[in-house]
Amino acid sequence: EPFVIFWTVMVFTSVY
Amino acid sequence: MNLSPLDWFIIVAYLVGCMTAGIWMRRFVRRVEDFTVAGREMDVNLGIASLAATELGVVTIMYTAQLGFEKGFAGATIGVIMALAMYLVGRTGFVIHPLRAAGVMTIPELFEKRFSKGVRWLAGLFVVLGGVLNMGIFLRLGGEFLVHVTGLPTESRALEWVMTGLLGLVLLYTVMGGMLSVLVTDYLQFIVMGLGIVITSILVIGDIGWTPLVEKLWLCWDGTGAEAGQTLKAHPFNPLHESNFGWLYIGWMLIFQIAVVTTWQTQIARVLASKDEHSARRMYRRTAFYFVGRFALPGLWGAAALVHFSFAGGLPEGITSLTAMPAYLATLLPIGLIGIVLAAMLAAEMSTDSGYLLTWATVIYNDLISPCVRKPLTAKAKLLITRLLVLAIGVFLLFYGLWYEMPGNAWDYLAVTGNIYLASVFSLLVAGLYWKSANATGAYAALVLGAVGPLTFLVVNLVVAKEKQIAPEIAGASSFALAFAGMIVGSLLARRPPALPAAEVAA
Repeated sequence: EPFVIFWTVMVFTSVY
Repeated sequence: MNLSPLDWFIIVAYLVGCMTAGIWMRRFVRRVEDFTVAGREMDVNLGIASLAATELGVVTIMYTAQLGFEKGFAGATIGVIMALAMYLVGRTGFVIHPLRAAGVMTIPELFEKRFSKGVRWLAGLFVVLGGVLNMGIFLRLGGEFLVHVTGLPTESRALEWVMTGLLGLVLLYTVMGGMLSVLVTDYLQFIVMGLGIVITSILVIGDIGWTPLVEKLWLCWDGTGAEAGQTLKAHPFNPLHESNFGWLYIGWMLIFQIAVVTTWQTQIARVLASKDEHSARRMYRRTAFYFVGRFALPGLWGAAALVHFSFAGGLPEGITSLTAMPAYLATLLPIGLIGIVLAAMLAAEMSTDSGYLLTWATVIYNDLISPCVRKPLTAKAKLLITRLLVLAIGVFLLFYGLWYEMPGNAWDYLAVTGNIYLASVFSLLVAGLYWKSANATGAYAALVLGAVGPLTFLVVNLVVAKEKQIAPEIAGASSFALAFAGMIVGSLLARRPPALPAAEVAA
């Protein structure tokens, strides 16, 4: 779960 | 072909706008400094656009999407590390502050001030070999993307002709306006690229859905849900898992990325074109998070391609982990949007090609030719030589990177020149700027040992069995350690006052 949350934040924050 | 008249209109409009702006900047080129470092007049936001556009090419998008396809979201960990390295360097000014303060046009030029003319020449040779050969794969991979998204016929050498035409356009404005044209076209390309990347990412998330994408990625990893069984061999979210990168590789990557952002000449060219040291540092800090997206967003497309094909019976024939992402996008992008995305990818390819062509031509002129010329050249002659060098590198790449297919893993062997460049030049830069006792003997030893390391590991890995091969993180860290050991031991053995103290070089 912590990694899934981390990548969710990273991808949506990236969407530049 | 998958393109409608609307798509063609968007692509042609982008190309015409880009070429007009690039050629228009020619009128401002008077000196070689205008051509190579834009007269050192570049401000922060233009620097951000140029740095981001140059360092995000189609080759980057293809490789980062492949990482997403093979390692899930964990593949984007390298982007997080690179962003961290960019921010740390921007915050502290490590290397880039004294380098910009030195007022040089290239990294090797600093080595003449600090060590000797011979060190400058040898380092320049390493930089050019590592840089130009690294660029050899750009054109073919860029062409692969276009072929798979547009449905161009592969048997008629359409890929080669399209990429030749594209490089011809890039050469035209780069030869005419140098860094000034590169900056203005980078700015336009940054906008078009950003638009294409945001639109594609929203479409991909909309196509599969975020929660289903996460759940299906997990099923691809544990092999219980996908029709094609376990299609993912690495943990899709945890980069520290033994099936993924692991601790050792992540630790090595942090050191490696700090070396990349402080020594890779195409990035440093933007530092040296900045108005001053503080503008350069601000540019690094503000561009840092862009590098997360550089890996995470194409990685998202690659992960989505894996899920799409895994739940549709597996990869179609002829599609690999590298070409799965463009093949997936071809099924996803509607008319009109495919034109925007293609224009974005053309922008990514052109901005990277122009920045790289100019950078390596500048190093050849500034560090290999200029030190050997006895009579001072006129401004006109300097400009002519630099322009001809841009053209020559372009022709070389067309032949070796596109029309002539190199046998077997030749490019893998040539990629080792990139490691030689990073290990040796990073050790010279750090010691030259921060260690007063560093001298020319140490610099030569670092250059030689920086080359010996990667070449030795390459040969060892060629002759031993696959399971006994040296891991990339061990080979990389050892190469850096060897170069630094050469610098320290060589400098201590030939101890004498340096040509100039480090503080004076940066004054």
